[in-house]
Amino acid sequence: MKKILTILGLFAVMGLAAPIDGYMQTLAAEAKKADAGFSGFDAKRGEKIFTSEHIGKKGKSISCASCHTGDLKKAGENTFTAKAIEPLSPKANAKRLSDVKNVEKWLRRNFNDVYNREGSALEKGDVLTYIQNY
Amino acid sequence: MKKYLIMALSAATLIGGAVLFADDDERYEKRVYEHSKTNMQTNTPKRALNEFEKTYQKECGSCHMAYQPEFLPKRSWNKMMEGLDNHFEVDATLDPKDRKTILAYLTSNAGDSKYRSKHFSKMSNSVAKDEAPLRISETPYFIKEHRKIPKRLIEQKEVKSIANCTACHTTADKGIYSERAIKIPNYGRWDD
Repeated sequence: MKKILTILGLFAVMGLAAPIDGYMQTLAAEAKKADAGFSGFDAKRGEKIFTSEHIGKKGKSISCASCHTGDLKKAGENTFTAKAIEPLSPKANAKRLSDVKNVEKWLRRNFNDVYNREGSALEKGDVLTYIQNY
Repeated sequence: MKKYLIMALSAATLIGGAVLFADDDERYEKRVYEHSKTNMQTNTPKRALNEFEKTYQKECGSCHMAYQPEFLPKRSWNKMMEGLDNHFEVDATLDPKDRKTILAYLTSNAGDSKYRSKHFSKMSNSVAKDEAPLRISETPYFIKEHRKIPKRLIEQKEVKSIANCTACHTTADKGIYSERAIKIPNYGRWDD
């Protein structure tokens, strides 16, 4: 019992240190609920989600890479407005994936803009894993 | 062991601040209204941005220039903030608190607000009373000012669209749109 409490306590403290880890765990639990065969997120699947083209909200072909480019360590540009976008990879830009509220906001909006629907827990976890490991 | 849990919980409750809203419209407008003027010599704001400005810059300014609220009347901003799920065919939804903060900032500084800066109100004043355009570029004054610009200069990749003020108005983000501050990519200065 004591051991479990210690582990739980450590998790809680760690979760505060890196909020994104807590969010990933939440997504993993959701993915497991949707599919009992879920065995973890996959950067390879995430890459496909990120780079493949789809008919988006504007009715035109678009991918995540249309704005973020294919190199997540480099700056991108909003394809509609020409506004610069800072690099997405946390290795190139420490601010990335540091604020869960912000991460959730952009996943919601960008899945809608590129896929014309919200992303599933599995898709979100996969694409975040891809970004984290880039 | 419990110590860890208590520590984690109390830290979590400390995270995040709250913006206070006044009920009294007038007092509220005064508090929100305070434009950040830039010191052009040092290129720094003369005072720190307030919570409203910070939220507006962060949320709206991440995809496009944070346009001066004076450019449109209140009725336009109200309509704009109602339809963020389809903001020019893009999902620009916000969490309710941020949406409320930004709407307050926009309407209390709009072209027909009490405390607007007169300098910018031409755009909004040119809008017919029964209209509420969502594009600044659809206001009659804007159209008049930009009517002579060749399409190719607007559509070129360095500019992309008429909504990209800073591409040609080099100090637009500081609220300076004078002729001297115009430099059109692949063209140069603009003499009207």
